[in-house]
Amino acid sequence: MPTHPVPRAPGGRRLSRRTFLAVAGISVAGALAACSGAPTGTKHLRLSSWNIPLDLESYQVIADEFVAAHPGTSVAVEVTTGQFHQWFITRLAADLAPDIIRITPQQIGRYAANGSLVDLTGAVPAEYQDDYSEPFWAIGAREDGLYGVFQHTDNFITYYDRRVVQQIGVTPPSSLADAWHWDEFLEIAREARKVTGGYGFGYGWGGAETAYRWLPIVYQNGGTFLGEDGETPSMDSAEAVGALDFGRRWYSEGLVSPANMSKSGGTPGRDLFLTGQIGLLLDNPESIAPLDEGLPDEWGTAPMIRNTGEASDLGGNALAVTKSSKHPELAAELVAYITSRANVVEFCKRGNWLPARSSLDAADIGYERHAGTMQQFIDQATTIPLSMVRAESGQYFSSLNSVLADYLDLCFLGELSPAECGTQMTEAMRSVTTR
Amino acid sequence: MSPRDEVLTRRPDDGARQPRWAPYLFVGPAGLLFLAFSLLPIVIAITLSFQDTATLGDGEWVGAANYETMLGDPLLRTALLNTLVFTVGTVPTAMAIGLALAVALNRPLPGRGLLRALFFVPMIAAGVVVGVIMSWIFNPDYGVANNALAALGLSGLPWLTSPNTAMFTLIAVVVWTRIGFCMVIYLGALQSIPAELREAAAIDGASGWQRLRRLTVPMLAPTTSILLILNVVFSLQSFDVIYVMTGGGPGFSTTVLIQYVFRSAFADARMGYAAALGLLLVLILLVFTLLRQRATKRAEELL
Repeated sequence: MPTHPVPRAPGGRRLSRRTFLAVAGISVAGALAACSGAPTGTKHLRLSSWNIPLDLESYQVIADEFVAAHPGTSVAVEVTTGQFHQWFITRLAADLAPDIIRITPQQIGRYAANGSLVDLTGAVPAEYQDDYSEPFWAIGAREDGLYGVFQHTDNFITYYDRRVVQQIGVTPPSSLADAWHWDEFLEIAREARKVTGGYGFGYGWGGAETAYRWLPIVYQNGGTFLGEDGETPSMDSAEAVGALDFGRRWYSEGLVSPANMSKSGGTPGRDLFLTGQIGLLLDNPESIAPLDEGLPDEWGTAPMIRNTGEASDLGGNALAVTKSSKHPELAAELVAYITSRANVVEFCKRGNWLPARSSLDAADIGYERHAGTMQQFIDQATTIPLSMVRAESGQYFSSLNSVLADYLDLCFLGELSPAECGTQMTEAMRSVTTR
Repeated sequence: MSPRDEVLTRRPDDGARQPRWAPYLFVGPAGLLFLAFSLLPIVIAITLSFQDTATLGDGEWVGAANYETMLGDPLLRTALLNTLVFTVGTVPTAMAIGLALAVALNRPLPGRGLLRALFFVPMIAAGVVVGVIMSWIFNPDYGVANNALAALGLSGLPWLTSPNTAMFTLIAVVVWTRIGFCMVIYLGALQSIPAELREAAAIDGASGWQRLRRLTVPMLAPTTSILLILNVVFSLQSFDVIYVMTGGGPGFSTTVLIQYVFRSAFADARMGYAAALGLLLVLILLVFTLLRQRATKRAEELL
């Protein structure tokens, strides 16, 4: 009968089965404890950003400088994955959210209001506010504290196909004061459609989650989404209904592709521009690189369209500290460091972003390409209205954005008239804000 | 008594004493997993459905308020109607095509194995991948579908951008992903039908159609019953393809119940209401399963 070798302790003493299991158990427990992340003396921070490789590198470079100046700390840059709200809510619930989160103005309000973010007042130098416009500072500031610092921005201007505008015979404006008014723009878009044989123009819409990008149209007509206070649903005003009517004409006249601007559509405006199906595109700076690659020297830019008022999209990101952070003071210090003037310059230069700080222009940033166009975007940022910022960064906006996407679809695709849409949308918005 | 009879009649206590805890050790790991990942979440979801909370945890007790809200929620009615249309559109179609393919591929055919594999492949693909690829195919501006129509001299269709066509397109895509599954299950069942029965029917003069209708289909009834339940469950749980392809739009035309649960939880931050909607979905599934079980039992009794 085969016998199994009996384990022996060092020194030759025989190990009983129980002793062996006990020793093994203690060893495994020790190994697990070592992996458990028990305090080692180093304060570790996690910063989560969108999956943009250049930005991830920039954050890590800045974080490494911060760590060098703060012995006993470490910072890891992570990627925010999947659907943002699902990702963030579940991590907050598990107390596993990153220490620092890169978050859009449209997302920040909910989490600032429900206690998921940490008040940064005191950690951010007081002079920071002086270098921000009122709208941009309002993104993170609430009555009860400062819940984020706006790091960089972007907005919409008008891209045009040089060949198309040449055939139409128009000279695109170059200054904000000369921006195309709605009627002029519609006329040009109709002509552009004749030239392309497809559509007139495209919009930088990116699916239902970016429905808010259409809101500048409301503000250009003197309307508001949530009143001047940023809290009272007001899409049933004459100005807002007028804006809905303007938007509906884009569809009814075949000036835009329904797939470009509907919840179920998936055609980015820049793809239509690159394939010659449109001659004009209202979009953010992210189109510069693909247009440069696909249509080098064949495109130009003009200011965003306007009507009785001016407005452009509120793009960009803020940095905020979450309640999951075990070292909120240190995390707040890192936020202040990343949003310092020098680091904003570096970040915007590498990633081709627009600075949120008012004192910076394209020359300060030193963009390697299209400095003139980037300055045009920086100038356009001054037209973003405070009331629109209040609405979009308010506590209800994450929910209201879905309502906006639903009702724009119903109006633009012909299910509801602009007046019906305004009334029903306002009612649906009230059911959210009075919840 | 032969040794065999001895084994058959021996009571467990007759031989070496079996430890009583042994069965629990076998069941334990699976039981713990079920407890942690199924039972506990169900209990939490039930608790959550009586709370008002924007995030997970720390909610305010509101009694049956979430269930009362459901009664007067017009979007829920739309979602339920869409769910019904989607389920009725996908389940019988996928099963009928699956059965037809199974019958066709149950015969000796050149390349039969390859064809079976090809029809099954969409079932393996992740829903998100299917959704993205189908969004490209049905894109009205540069999709393959409209280019094919244009090549035939026909005008393109707003596959996903019209409330009149979006649901039809979704149903077609989901049916495509599911026919392979139905085909494989039916193939297995077809191969278990004794060949003598078919031969006897043929000798008696039954035509191919008669053999299918009077012999094959009734013999497949238990399989059909299981497939029906599984397909209804799949349809009620269809989320990824719809989320990627239409996001519930245009308007609300493809918003089904599970989309509405997700939207309530994460877009609207109404965790309590989303939990109540989720329980409604469970209830619908339970009622359907019980009804189907009862119908099957009655059919078996009649036979």
